[in-house]
Amino acid sequence: MAEALILSVYSFMRSCIGIITHPYETYRRINGKGTLLELVPMAALLSLYFATNAMVKAPAFRPFVLTRHFIKTSVSVVVTALFISLLLWGVGRLLGGKGEYKRFFLGWAYTLIPTLAWFLFTSLLYVFIPPPRTTLPTGVALSVVFLTVSAVLFFWKLILAYLSLRFGLKLDLIRIFGILLISAPVIGLYSVGMYRLGIFRVPFL
Amino acid sequence: MNDPFYERFQKRWNEITDLPPQTVGPFTPYYKMITKRLKVMPFPILVLLSAGIIIALFVVFGSGITFITTVLQRGF
Repeated sequence: MAEALILSVYSFMRSCIGIITHPYETYRRINGKGTLLELVPMAALLSLYFATNAMVKAPAFRPFVLTRHFIKTSVSVVVTALFISLLLWGVGRLLGGKGEYKRFFLGWAYTLIPTLAWFLFTSLLYVFIPPPRTTLPTGVALSVVFLTVSAVLFFWKLILAYLSLRFGLKLDLIRIFGILLISAPVIGLYSVGMYRLGIFRVPFL
Repeated sequence: MNDPFYERFQKRWNEITDLPPQTVGPFTPYYKMITKRLKVMPFPILVLLSAGIIIALFVVFGSGITFITTVLQRGF
């Protein structure tokens, strides 16, 4: 078991580097040879973010408040990831996609890396340079940098989401657009629901 | 045939032909041109594209883009 876990950590790290340098090739490998054990280091990485988020966002630095915040965020992210992946997989199957949910979910889980990077980057920036941004040249310059980084991570996320649908469901571009078109209103409503419940302002998709 | 090189080639061939090539009608050459650059190290292109979009937003909205940043910075 320990050996398998070490191997999965190695495989996870290799895939994390791969989705930066060779996303297409890496997704082919994740889809063909990846194991669900790779989700263990991913969960550990996400927990690290949830802990950071609890410390930055919790109203008081008390164990009960921090734990409650940590659990609330963790449960919400897990529920969101399962819901969105099931939705996309279900719609994909309706549109003629082939493939197991397990394989698709593994690929989808890697699309959480850009999301995690954005949330971690924003949390740390919130601590070091808290909002609001002013309209002074320094505020504008920081805004340009912040928005550029956000856009890069967003486009990276789009590429990985496309690849997870392409390899996980063996679909073509038109059908992938179809899935996104059908799922977008549901995801929009879900995000509004999360916002109303005070869980996420920007959904952790 | 038990040639290990041939077996590796066969395995790789099966991997690659698992998915049919993507075509988008008359736009296929453009699609191939774009995706070729995104398949390997897409970040230089993504940075250029994102910087271009954000600079265009700055030209349109001026210092109003700081409002978007403030909203997003509170959004995590």
